[in-house]
Amino acid sequence: MHATYRLIDPLSPYRALARNYALVVQMAKRDVKSRYRGSFMGLFWSFFNPLLMLTVYAFVFGVLFHARWNRHETNHLAFVLIMFAGINVSNMFSECATRATTQIIENANYVKRVVFPLESLSWSAVGAALFHLLVATIALLVIELVAFHHIPWTVVLFPIVIAVFMPFVAGTVWLLASLGVFLRDIKQAIVIATSALMFLAPIFYPLSMIPGKYRIFWYLDPLTVIAMASQKVLFFGELPRWDHLGLYLIVSMLFAWGAFAWFQRTRKGFADVV
Amino acid sequence: MLYENGSIVVEGLSKRYEIYARPADRLKQMILPKVRRWMRRMEKAYFQEFWALHDVSFTVARGETVGIIGCNGSGKSTLLQMVCGTLYPTAGKVKTGGRIAALLELGAGFNPEFTGRENIHLSGLLYGITDAELRSRYQSIVEFADIGEFIEQPVKTYSSGMYVRLAFAIAAHVDADTLIVDEALSVGDVRFTQKCMRFLREFQKHGTLLFVSHDPGAVLNLCDRAIWLDKGRMLADGPAREVVEQYLAEQHAADRATLGEQVVVQNSLFKDESINAGATHLPDMGVPKDVIDPRQEILNGCAKRNLIEVFEFDDTRIGKEFGAGAIRIRGVRMCVPGGKAIRMTSAGEAVDLEIDANVLEAIEAPIFGFYVKDRLGQRLFGDNTYFSYHDKPLKLSRGTGLRARFRFRMPILPVGDYSVDVAVATGTQDSHTQQHWVRDALVFQASDSTMRHGLVGIPMHAIEIERIAP
Repeated sequence: MHATYRLIDPLSPYRALARNYALVVQMAKRDVKSRYRGSFMGLFWSFFNPLLMLTVYAFVFGVLFHARWNRHETNHLAFVLIMFAGINVSNMFSECATRATTQIIENANYVKRVVFPLESLSWSAVGAALFHLLVATIALLVIELVAFHHIPWTVVLFPIVIAVFMPFVAGTVWLLASLGVFLRDIKQAIVIATSALMFLAPIFYPLSMIPGKYRIFWYLDPLTVIAMASQKVLFFGELPRWDHLGLYLIVSMLFAWGAFAWFQRTRKGFADVV
Repeated sequence: MLYENGSIVVEGLSKRYEIYARPADRLKQMILPKVRRWMRRMEKAYFQEFWALHDVSFTVARGETVGIIGCNGSGKSTLLQMVCGTLYPTAGKVKTGGRIAALLELGAGFNPEFTGRENIHLSGLLYGITDAELRSRYQSIVEFADIGEFIEQPVKTYSSGMYVRLAFAIAAHVDADTLIVDEALSVGDVRFTQKCMRFLREFQKHGTLLFVSHDPGAVLNLCDRAIWLDKGRMLADGPAREVVEQYLAEQHAADRATLGEQVVVQNSLFKDESINAGATHLPDMGVPKDVIDPRQEILNGCAKRNLIEVFEFDDTRIGKEFGAGAIRIRGVRMCVPGGKAIRMTSAGEAVDLEIDANVLEAIEAPIFGFYVKDRLGQRLFGDNTYFSYHDKPLKLSRGTGLRARFRFRMPILPVGDYSVDVAVATGTQDSHTQQHWVRDALVFQASDSTMRHGLVGIPMHAIEIERIAP
């Protein structure tokens, strides 16, 4: 029978990870590998892809638009790197969210044919996205080192920022994976929603551009806190707002708990409609 | 663990499939009825229901082998899926102990994009086998599957045979306490099927086996016990042989019913009939001289001969007959050719199997036939009168008596109990209505056999060793 979780336990989402750790790693590895299967350069794409994207952004925003981050940070390349730090966070989220909607349908075998810990699929999706984030971040740091001959020490705090983000991403996957089974239209809606979240977070512009009284709405975008913290630790060499991150962690874990419980409650219905 | 590893307890198990017009209705069903109840309004169902399984209960002890038979749609797979835990019961409980390995349908649980190797790895993880353990078994799994280079190819490129080979190979290597096999063997080739059967026989010695098949022969061959499901209900649970025979009789009745003929399967068939007409005389067929085993004389003289003891036809065998009833079998005998009924014979001797019957309604072209079955109910050999008479069909009026005679040499049989089913039907070889089928009409016992392997021995015309050029 399926492993059961005490859903009343707020740590149950992480027990799902601990219990199926080997499986999660295996599935995530497989996921990463399969993306570039058959392509000539294979895994190199996950490194060159962000690098090439960065070049495109540098050309468009730097050369064509002469964009600057703010009054203090006038370098065009700096603008591109700051933007890139935010985009990476947004990509991690949208990649997981988009694929979550079809996750269960694509793994119909695991719903109907074997006793599979479906709840672990969420963690392996996060794991695969983490890998891509890691590679993209390395690309960012390489450019930063080449262009500015300097990488701030605060880079070491980046894993903490992402750790705070992870429960939220995993929760999103549980929620959308479950809804995606029953509401097939959700897949289309998610594409719009993820780009809306990206543009409404201070990724292409600093939050200071937003008048103070509206900023509170920007903080409702789940990407805002994480994107800003990433920009700080990866480029500005500043400490992230620990109070923001702390609050974010609490909300993020509560959300993951609720989404996990929802997933576990609704999974009984998967086999009826997949 | 509360339950002994390998045991299965099924209590009042029911499964209602909820058929939803749209996936979103499934979500509504999960939420809205509760809301409506809370608002004190009428509950409303968002699905059409279909009961695939209805109140099924049984217990399987560790080490038992149970066959599950039934036609398509009888709920076999649904039952197995609930035992495995991939389906949630609507009502009732399933309790299992220990590790269950399942071969449900084709390619159960494989990820089609993954290679065979990756799927082996993944399945191992699902069965809770440690990495180190899996690595040590990997070679053995690959050898068992025997699909060559394909092990490195995505599973979606596999033929159905390769799928099953891989699935079976994995299931065979996970140290399961319970193995569930659902019709999976039918797509493998002969060599692989035999390999699987050898594995299953070995597995039976210590593990619990649930075996589903449309092939009654395979069920008889493997199982001591059988469960018969029909339209989601359990019709019978008992010794495999009895259950399978009941099932086959019922199947025949159902087949003929679609053709508008009524075949009755019940205990009290022909209870008060008593027509006694003289037997029509069949020509003496003579005793064939050509197929006498050269060892016959020696064997007959020593204690090694294969003695066969025949028990009498018991015409009160209630519950072991069925048929449409236009002819009734009234007696079955084993005789010396052209002579008296015998109680004892031995392998290699010619015997007559005589079947007497009374015609109760005018019919044409009766076909008499028989099967000799072993202890498990597997049919060893048999024959019928169809080809001997198909160009000169007998027209028979009500009240005629008939005697059919089959003369053959008794083959060599391994020590054990045997029985003979006799039947009379009308129609043709391919499409016929059983008028009267008597199960186990004769039983006999073979003892002191020289034969050890195989199901039936045939007389050898010559046995010699010759020197030839090396």
